[in-house]
Amino acid sequence: MRIGVFVCECGTNIAATVSTGKVVDAALSMRDVLHAESIQYTCSDPGQRAVIDAIQKKGLTRVVIASCSPRMHENTFRRTVGRAGLNAYMMEMVNIREHCSWIHSDIDEATDKAIDLMQKGVARVRRQVPLHSTTVPVTKRVLVVGGGVAGIQAALDIADAGLPVTLVERGPSIGGNMARLDKTFPTLDCSSCILTPRMVEAAQHENIELMVSSEVEQVRGYIGNFDVDIRRKATCVDAEKCTGCMICQEKCPGKAPDEFNAGVGQSKAISIPFPQAVPLVAALRKEHCRLFIKGKCSVCKKVCPADAIDYEQEDRIETEKFGAIVVATGYELFDWRESYPDYGGGQYPDVVTALQYERMLSASGPNGGHVQRPSDGKEPKNVVFISCVGSRDESVGRPLCCSVGCMYIAKQAILTKEHIPDSQSYVFYIDIRAGGKGYEEFTRRAQRDFGAIYLRGRVGKIYPSNGNLVVMGTDTLSAEQVEIDADLVVLATGFAAAEGAGELARKLNISYDQYEFFSESHPKLRPVETTTGGVFLAGACQGPKDIPDTVAQASASAAKVIGLLSRGELETSPMVAAVNQMRCTGCFKCRDVCPYGAIEAVELRDGREVANVIDSLCQGCGVCNVACPPAVISLKGYTDGQLIAETMELLR
Amino acid sequence: MAIRVSSTVPGGADVVADIERRSGERVSACYQCGRCTSTCTGAFAFDYPPHRIMRMLQLGQVDEVLNSRTAQICYDCMTCSTRCPMNIDVANVIEHAKMIADERGIEGDEKEIRLFRLAFLKNVRRHGRLHEARLLTWINFRSFRPFNDLSLVPLILRRKKIHIVPPRIKNRQEVHRIFREINGGDK
Ligand SMILES: Cc1cc2nc3c(=O)[nH]c(=O)nc-3n(C[C@H](O)[C@H](O)[C@H](O)COP(=O)(O)OP(=O)(O)OC[C@H]3O[C@@H](n4cnc5c(N)ncnc54)[C@H](O)[C@@H]3O)c2cc1C
Ligand code: SF4
Ligand code: SF4
Ligand code: SF4
Ligand code: SF4
Repeated sequence: MRIGVFVCECGTNIAATVSTGKVVDAALSMRDVLHAESIQYTCSDPGQRAVIDAIQKKGLTRVVIASCSPRMHENTFRRTVGRAGLNAYMMEMVNIREHCSWIHSDIDEATDKAIDLMQKGVARVRRQVPLHSTTVPVTKRVLVVGGGVAGIQAALDIADAGLPVTLVERGPSIGGNMARLDKTFPTLDCSSCILTPRMVEAAQHENIELMVSSEVEQVRGYIGNFDVDIRRKATCVDAEKCTGCMICQEKCPGKAPDEFNAGVGQSKAISIPFPQAVPLVAALRKEHCRLFIKGKCSVCKKVCPADAIDYEQEDRIETEKFGAIVVATGYELFDWRESYPDYGGGQYPDVVTALQYERMLSASGPNGGHVQRPSDGKEPKNVVFISCVGSRDESVGRPLCCSVGCMYIAKQAILTKEHIPDSQSYVFYIDIRAGGKGYEEFTRRAQRDFGAIYLRGRVGKIYPSNGNLVVMGTDTLSAEQVEIDADLVVLATGFAAAEGAGELARKLNISYDQYEFFSESHPKLRPVETTTGGVFLAGACQGPKDIPDTVAQASASAAKVIGLLSRGELETSPMVAAVNQMRCTGCFKCRDVCPYGAIEAVELRDGREVANVIDSLCQGCGVCNVACPPAVISLKGYTDGQLIAETMELLR
Repeated sequence: MAIRVSSTVPGGADVVADIERRSGERVSACYQCGRCTSTCTGAFAFDYPPHRIMRMLQLGQVDEVLNSRTAQICYDCMTCSTRCPMNIDVANVIEHAKMIADERGIEGDEKEIRLFRLAFLKNVRRHGRLHEARLLTWINFRSFRPFNDLSLVPLILRRKKIHIVPPRIKNRQEVHRIFREINGGDK
């Protein structure tokens, strides 16, 4: 056995705290270690060449590299030893940076620990055997969850590359929050004018299948081969027959909240959410329908000229196979009412959210774009905007910045002036966050060209007085209290993750933060990947962001998916479980615990039923190893023998 | 004139650290949103509204804070504290500035307010609860206006708003203990 040990200095990252020379000496004193050296940057080109040289010149058969986290460079070094002619798995990485030099300051102690870790690696690599990976075919179909601008963009990009896409949207139409916006910063182009064509394109694309009123029920499988159950919710309308004439909506007597208009105005129990909806198909909401509540009505069925109404319809589950999944479930607004009793807690009709105001401004909104305040329909003259409601506020548990509020307030102040020329907007802000291209100029224009008065401070309280609202705030720049008589108050409420985001994450086995925004695999280098292979992120489901960032991220996800599926098959890790079938008792505890369904029963020639691992399904999690009573199932590369040898070395 | 920030004010940072330690509040967490000031009920009479006091402490302008009218006359209504998005008990911070000013014998411009506050505390400390008759006489003498509001005395007595004999409460030593703990030692 000829073992080589390479100790990385990582510049001063390791060498400043660990005396690498001593680690080299300690390695050389070990049995079978024929070569040891320290290298300034092992991952660099000259560093890798030194490793290859040593392997070839000294005929090394096993290698230990003591450096950084294997998450960083395991693949790099596997390729290095591979290039030197060894089996790529005859290399063991030991982490003396994150696990040692970065967290210790005492040089002697850190060096001792680095030596221990190195010795452990040697003990382990001694028992390593060459491993060989296999390949599995991939399913060249993609699931996109969430039909906002992010999901639409990702679906179109992937479909244009020739891959079939299924776009699953929970609501009755795609479009997401962007479909509700009036005009968009910083160019003030009309939101639906730029979004509607994309929605139609998605619906008509030969490679895209739209599934609205649908949700992901269950996900099985792994990268390249997911099995997904999709729940097609009953809408009581046959989508094939409905022509979108809206007669049902006109005649329906059942009033229902208007979700599309963010609660401004009212809708019907059966409705098409907005005139540009895609698909243009009505949906019935049973919880508001008289037939389902009182047992009597059926007006829509009588009036529908296409005979599309079907009250008997039931939820269906469809199971489909996908090679990759893009999650684009977007955001909802933080519900401010309970947290801000001092702003009326939702009791004052003329305190609205910015999304409601967006609908009030929109020509397709409930008032056809005439701004009328909710209480008495009067046109407001003094409009006060309050930023950071439910954002940057630790007292309500929301310290994060919504990242778009400053921008959409500036936009809405400009639009207010355009709609009502004799109006005056006041904007309370803490900092103006306008980092994007053209953004700073845009917020300046709101002040300079549209006369919005910006007050640097938070509002403490709003109270009603003589049919108006009094806003009590501070202008910290003059260090004075201010009071403004407002006709309308608009709150820039913060972003929250879409309802049920955490639950979806658990189904997909991806991680999320304390606000249920999904976590990217690495904040800088893997911003659209998740911790689960084959699942990617796009848009505001990952954190608050505006449309340009959302679209950029969606296209980035699409590129990753296309890259992944461009290969016909995927190489699987050889570090999978293996059963010693001679000693297997056939209890199948392993099959019960395996989260990936990777264990099957096979019959031996003597008729015994024993466990068998399906290599392509096994993810190497190791749960079965623990469950197996006679301990005859083990993970290649992590065998009991190796783990015990490592532990013994540490305990010595 | 340029302001002097903590590195140049002798002991400035120490006093702020002292306030943070004794009050348990994080002065450094204030991000100057001004919400405390927005509904401060006393700010009309202050020289510096509460968010400015927070800022001055961050910069170590300790003398200005200890000598401010704000530190003398803020009456702990705690409106600021209920509003602060960073969960800072602003009134508590100001209260500790007030205590440190007292410890240093800083009288400030609001002599009567200070006199009243100290007399009030002294009175409660001694009797375990307020003994109004004594408080009034004490203040009148200390402010050199012995006959101030004397004409009201018969009315007050008749309405039993005030008692000549000091109140008796159980466990007076408990009140003493509270005072000792708040002051971080006896004085
Ligand atoms: C008042 C306001 C004004 C704004 N103005 C602008 C502006 O002018 N310019 C700008 O650039 N940005 C603006 N924004 C930001 C913009 O709305 C977002 O950047 C953008 O909508 C994010 O798109 P998305 O696709 O990621 O998410 P969304 O638009 O939220 O779309 C997500 C979609 O996923 C669906 N979904 C959620 N959960 C599930 C599930 N479990 N299964 C299936 N489907 C699901 C939802 O129904 C929705 O259709 C504004 C935001 C607000 C609040
Ligand atoms: S973007 Fe602006 S409004 Fe939104 S939380 Fe950040 S600072 Fe506040
Ligand atoms: S748990 Fe062990 S003994 Fe039981 S079936 Fe699996 S491999 Fe065989
Ligand atoms: S406690 Fe706060 S709000 Fe009340 S007077 Fe003092 S500084 Fe103002
Ligand atoms: S409310 Fe709190 S964070 Fe805001 S200025 Fe006052 S003390 Fe600072």
